[in-house]
Amino acid sequence: MEARQTLINESAMGRNRAIRQAGRMGLWLNPVFAYFFLWAPILILVLFSFNDSKSVASFTGFTLKWYSNILNNVMGAERAFSTEIMLNAFRNSLFVGAVATAIATALGTLIALAMARGRFPGKGLLDGLLFLPVVIPEITQAISLAIFFKVVFDWFDLISGQRIFPGFHTIIMAHVTFNISYVAIVVRARLADMDPQLEEAANDLGANPWQTFWRVTFPLILPGVIAGALLAFTLSLDDFVITFFTSGVGTSTLPVFVYGLLKLTVTPEVNAISTIMMLLSTLLIGISLAMQGRAASRA
Amino acid sequence: MPMSSYDVELIDIVKDFDSGGGPVRAVDHVSVEIEDGEFFALLGPSGCGKTTTLRLIAGFEQPSAGRILIRGLAMEGIPAYHRPVNTVFQDYALFPHLTVEQNIMFGLQMEGVDKKAARKRAEESLELVRLPGVGARKPHQLSGGQQQRVALARALVKQPAVLLLDEPLGALDLKLRKNMQYELKALQRDVGITFIYVTHDQEEAITMADRIAVMNEGVMLQVGSPREIYEHPESHFVADFIGETNFIPGRMLERYPGGYGKVKLANGSIIRAQLSEAFSRADGPVTVAIRPERIGIAALDDRASEEDGEVTALDAVLAERQYIGTDTRYTLRLQAGIELVARLQNINEADSHEFSIGQPLKIRWRQSSTTVLDR
Ligand SMILES: Nc1ncnc2c1ncn2[C@@H]1O[C@H](COP(=O)(O)OP(=O)(O)OP(=O)(O)O)[C@@H](O)[C@H]1O
Ligand SMILES: [Mg+2]
Repeated sequence: MEARQTLINESAMGRNRAIRQAGRMGLWLNPVFAYFFLWAPILILVLFSFNDSKSVASFTGFTLKWYSNILNNVMGAERAFSTEIMLNAFRNSLFVGAVATAIATALGTLIALAMARGRFPGKGLLDGLLFLPVVIPEITQAISLAIFFKVVFDWFDLISGQRIFPGFHTIIMAHVTFNISYVAIVVRARLADMDPQLEEAANDLGANPWQTFWRVTFPLILPGVIAGALLAFTLSLDDFVITFFTSGVGTSTLPVFVYGLLKLTVTPEVNAISTIMMLLSTLLIGISLAMQGRAASRA
Repeated sequence: MPMSSYDVELIDIVKDFDSGGGPVRAVDHVSVEIEDGEFFALLGPSGCGKTTTLRLIAGFEQPSAGRILIRGLAMEGIPAYHRPVNTVFQDYALFPHLTVEQNIMFGLQMEGVDKKAARKRAEESLELVRLPGVGARKPHQLSGGQQQRVALARALVKQPAVLLLDEPLGALDLKLRKNMQYELKALQRDVGITFIYVTHDQEEAITMADRIAVMNEGVMLQVGSPREIYEHPESHFVADFIGETNFIPGRMLERYPGGYGKVKLANGSIIRAQLSEAFSRADGPVTVAIRPERIGIAALDDRASEEDGEVTALDAVLAERQYIGTDTRYTLRLQAGIELVARLQNINEADSHEFSIGQPLKIRWRQSSTTVLDR
């Protein structure tokens, strides 16, 4: 009887151990899978941007020729790859990014200040609405902006008899709308970390609100503002969906241009361009995060 | 320009905050006059409205009702940055992005003092708080005590009419706090600036202040010198908050001329006791307050234990005895469950075990040591 009991216990213990081990194994494998799915496509993209062969069937050797093709306007086998058009698209991206970032950073910072310091009715609601562009699907936002511009331009046409066509102004406005939220969120986090007594201390020492802002508040939130601006710039450079729906003729940004290439065929040049874009974005986001980290550790 | 001999006058100040569930009255009809050069302490438990009172004077909050005068000038509509007062914040509020020197120069530059003169005065001010040579450092490179001095230097360099200090020593350890108490007091005497000093530490208020205002629930209960506050509390709260006090419930029988009354204690004894200044009734339930160190203890056979015209003597039993180094604390039990604490200094080593637990004793006090309060 006693021996049997021990036997049962032992087998139960053995089973438990097996479950535990499987569980531990699963736990260990989970991040492996997660990281695999996260990074494998990107790794493949980067790898094949250096592939000597045109096909993605096999890696035949290391080459930089796709990168040099991008810059040197070399004809691809199927069609002409125009470096000029690509560089133009890249310039468009930088222009849109810079202008949209400047506007979004200024407005986003002001909104963050109002949210953190101001007391007004409906603040809670506005606060929630601020997060909307972050959570609603990009395609929804893109379509709504496209319709919005069309409606506004139709009205304008009706009233003034003049037609406005989409172009840089629409892309920039669209980018500003989604970037404001990101800037405001980052700056707000910085403001929340800041001791409000510092502003009172400045006041107490004779600084009026204007002086207080420029000598105390602004220097203290500056890392957050820069981080927010870098984030906005990156999002602007990377954006495809919203840009696609709000751009006009001749205003293609780099992602839109790449999409145009893809419509024909996936060429190794696309891999090379994508790799460069990824590196640029990663760098900018890295700097943005470093700024936010530095800001947090200094507070 | 209306002139007055007071540095700060609060006239019937009320401050209500509306926070969620109805208005909170943080300051409730406070009126007080603070003289030029005075060290004035605002003392009270947490949440009693000390900080709010200070912030009203500084201009960070606006009173819901009442007037504030500083050097005879009404402060209504005058923003914080135009008031002749400066604040030392509890957690210092030094600007983290500026050096110590820049922190101190900040206020001078706002006045338009040129950089060279400002730098010189910043240096002098650092010397005044005995912290020379740290001007180039950032605040986070200083210890808490040093930051405290910088905050003080930053405020003092402005040469304000009034310096407002909100628990400036609250974040320091006990030893440093004691040192800083002496230093601050000496500094205040030297510079002659009016200090309004918020603290919830009654010992700190008593040792430092010329006058103390005791606050509770937004009300300024009593204003007076430390001696007046300690010796002649006018309310149960003040007597309880400042130092240790025994409270004996009783009933007022008769009022004598000269500020004394005849009180029947809960144990049946009828005593003569001094009335508090605020006490106006001639009968009804009262509380008799007496400090532990004012109670004497004697053995029953002690000849000095007799009652006379000035001394009250009562029977008691020693319930507990606690040796605390300089003193011995005795818990004494009277009839009707009254317990009193007495504190006797251990002048000789044998003093601490002169009486034994359970021993019947005579306790005595001078009638002038008692205070009769509203219950
Ligand atoms: N901005 C505010 N909004 C709402 N209520 C407030 C505000 N400031 C203070 N109060 C309330 O007013 C009362 C007094 O607060 P105050 O800060 O003056 O107390 P205190 O005496 O300084 O306390 P402590 O010793 O804890 O610092 C408290 O009940 C507090 O909750
Ligand atoms: Mg306080």
